[in-house]
Amino acid sequence: MLLTAGLATGTARAATTGLVETGSTLLYPLFNLWVPDFMKTHPGVRVTTQGTGSGTGIAEAIAGVVQIGASDAYMSTPQIKKNPDILNIPLAISAQAVNYNLPGLAGTHLKLSGPVLAGIYSGKISTWNAPAIAALNPGVKLPDHKIIPVHRADGSGDTFLFTQYLSASTPAWNSTVSYGTTISWPAVPGGLGAEGNPGMVEALKQNPYSIAYIGVSFHEQIASAKLGTAMLQNKDGKFVLPTAKTIATAADALVGKTPKDERISLIFAPGAESYPIINYEYAVVSARQHDAATANAVKALLTWAINQGNAPAYLDKVEFKALPAAIKRLSEAQIARIH
Amino acid sequence: MKRSSPFRLGLAAIALVIPAALVLIVVFLIQYAWPAIFYNGIRFVGTIDWNLGNLYANPVIRHGVEVPLNANYGILAFIVGTLFSSFLAILFALPVAVGTAIFLAEAVPARFRGALSMLVELVAVVPSVVFGLWGIYVLAPLIAHYIGPGITAILGFIPFFDIHRSTGSGFGLLAAAIVLALMITPIIATTLYDALLQVPRELRESAMALGATRFEMVIKTALPTVRVTLIGGVVLGLGRALGETMAVLMVSGGALNYLPDTIFTPITTMAAFILSQLDSAFQDPTGMAVKSLAEIAIVLFIITLAVNAAARLLVRGAGLVRNV
Amino acid sequence: MRRRLVSRIGWVLCSCAFLLIAVPLLDLVLTVAIKGASAFSVKLFTTSSNGVTGGLLGAIVGTTVLSLGALIFAVPVGVGAGLYLSEYGHNRLGAVIRFLSDTLTGIPSIVLGYFSYITMVIGLGWKFSVLAGSITLAIMIVPYLARITELSLQRVPVAMREAAYALGAKERTVAFRIVLAAGRPGVITGVLLSLAISVGETAPLIQTAGWSNYLWTGKLTHEPIGYLTYVIWTFINQPNAQSHALAFAAAFLVMLFVLAINIGVRIVLRRPH
Repeated sequence: MLLTAGLATGTARAATTGLVETGSTLLYPLFNLWVPDFMKTHPGVRVTTQGTGSGTGIAEAIAGVVQIGASDAYMSTPQIKKNPDILNIPLAISAQAVNYNLPGLAGTHLKLSGPVLAGIYSGKISTWNAPAIAALNPGVKLPDHKIIPVHRADGSGDTFLFTQYLSASTPAWNSTVSYGTTISWPAVPGGLGAEGNPGMVEALKQNPYSIAYIGVSFHEQIASAKLGTAMLQNKDGKFVLPTAKTIATAADALVGKTPKDERISLIFAPGAESYPIINYEYAVVSARQHDAATANAVKALLTWAINQGNAPAYLDKVEFKALPAAIKRLSEAQIARIH
Repeated sequence: MKRSSPFRLGLAAIALVIPAALVLIVVFLIQYAWPAIFYNGIRFVGTIDWNLGNLYANPVIRHGVEVPLNANYGILAFIVGTLFSSFLAILFALPVAVGTAIFLAEAVPARFRGALSMLVELVAVVPSVVFGLWGIYVLAPLIAHYIGPGITAILGFIPFFDIHRSTGSGFGLLAAAIVLALMITPIIATTLYDALLQVPRELRESAMALGATRFEMVIKTALPTVRVTLIGGVVLGLGRALGETMAVLMVSGGALNYLPDTIFTPITTMAAFILSQLDSAFQDPTGMAVKSLAEIAIVLFIITLAVNAAARLLVRGAGLVRNV
Repeated sequence: MRRRLVSRIGWVLCSCAFLLIAVPLLDLVLTVAIKGASAFSVKLFTTSSNGVTGGLLGAIVGTTVLSLGALIFAVPVGVGAGLYLSEYGHNRLGAVIRFLSDTLTGIPSIVLGYFSYITMVIGLGWKFSVLAGSITLAIMIVPYLARITELSLQRVPVAMREAAYALGAKERTVAFRIVLAAGRPGVITGVLLSLAISVGETAPLIQTAGWSNYLWTGKLTHEPIGYLTYVIWTFINQPNAQSHALAFAAAFLVMLFVLAINIGVRIVLRRPH
């Protein structure tokens, strides 16, 4: 009975254009908030969403299996050279926090810097009361205990952002380990690899004295697990928390430097109030779509996303921020290239 | 009996679909991974360090092949992780499965057998990812707070079993082995249970008539006749353990670039590694990353072949008579 | 006396073994049920998901379709192969088939998924589809079906076959009417086990069946489809509690699904124990 109902609606829907989106799990919740409302005003389009991973989003968009790939990371120059028809279009701005589980210190915001974090994740700084950390946090009673650095075992945009922060702030890290959605983590005794952001939260919860990098969308989980959030040192040397203001400041600081193809890292932005770990969430789309109907549907969806979709009603639910006006114009210019 | 009746041939053709599928997959993997096989050479299985390289820098040409800067593909750590976890899993699963099968077939009154055996089969129904979730929320804390200290208390004089030499978190080799053991036990147990039920009555009765206790009858008479089924079940279970991805990925602790020195240290298995790295590998413009992952699949295939061959020799060597 | 003691200890050990598998299972089912409890309502079964919340109707239908599809491909091949191996497979060819079939179980599900992605989704141009998903699942479960069928049919006494042949029955009749019929309970166990394995798989489906928030439209290709295991894997990674509850609810449903089939088939067959 269900089958015939399904078949019947299938034929009725034959006139609609189907779009498939896949990719970043960070952008996935937001896309799912957008799609139902978008489809209400565009009844001829049916959008399916899937959360897989940034790399999958890019690969499947290039292969033409999906029309829109969502990615936390822009494509690399070598990858763009091999696929010149692919566009990276920012849709929103997201940020990342560094969280830790320190018994007794949950209320305090520890001050940490890129070089210190690089030291922790390479094993050079192994205890919480090491001089490097104490120097940044005078007056805080740091425990004499080994640090447990937790990293993502799966390939992830979060790793990309965190390692870009480490690379941008610490030349030694940049020349040895560098950045990527997955990197060759130095073997640190006591280090852990967790699966997915919730896996990171769980690893923090279960292991006192651990530290991890987690997307800001998870701030509720962090708060209810009584985990701490660090104040990170930005390019100007100031320590800031991820707030709407610090994220927006960082984004605005780099608007002038954003190229036409919008592939730019927002990490370690200049400005006293800038939060150092933010990024654009990209739609990876081919400028050449299968047919005109599909191209128009894609353009409609992306345009809707950066206009109506950038309203606080949607973004606030996932702790994302809206695109600056100048970036919106750049995105619209790229969208116009889709045919 | 005609040696090659059309029925027999037809059935053979159907049966050949299975090896054909396997050959197709392996050929696909080999031709896909060939550039990586050529580039990596024997270092692939001998080195511990795995580095996808800097995927955002321009690729370089080494040995005539285009690879990312600083890329280095070594999977020794994953081979060790796979073998250790699967071996331990079988070590845990075998006695539990045999004991369970005997319990169900011999100790439980006939009317309860159906329900209780379904309980065991239900374990096979649990999706891999749910085992992983249970592992994260229940098993890992259990190991960290109870099982781990327990093992250390009894066996701690052996460095391998000393929890204090590791992070102390529950994620690691032991968690992976336990989860795997739980997943493969029903495969071994249910096949063994079915076989035990079909052991002929005369065999049982004659043993009892000779004065054996019920338990002795089971161990010395019934069990030996089902040894082939048992080994068949173990081989299937081992195959599942070697190829298991999600559950292991979630509880094994994601080790990279080091070998485990205790049973509580994080590990990574080849299958879980392929799953976790595939997404990032897609971003490699040279394609070497995905090809190297395909090469891992080929190495895993060879290991599975070797393990199965060893199991075959075990059956042949024991000189067993089958019940046909 | 000592032998009695040893025997008694033996039984105790066996019951401990059973507990070692039963208790974790019960704990697991309980954990899943409790964590998923808040998601259970009528709406769960009547609405489809909207990506992060909603109901599970589309996923339930999808899992059913994909698993049935997998069985349609796997049962004829698997049971046929098992039949061949147990009846006529005591030769070189049989040994090779058996060996390679066992090896197939060791191929990680993600590798199968990637293989199907390249060959069927892209190569044959099916894109995300029911067909690609079902065939991939079928490849996964067919070796289990074959081996368990063989192992069960092997245990059918030789005498039964010989009697049938002596009465002049043809090979096909002996195979189907005698051997398969007598070994039916074991074969059904194999089918159910394979169904269980297929229903619980995620990795091979993500790149072949894709995912869809909508009810299946009946298309076999060029249309992604939803399935319960995706909900478990993806929703658990979402930052809100609703999605988590839904993930556990989906896990509970998966197990219930196969349990229900199990019980149903048992009742219909009324296993002769």
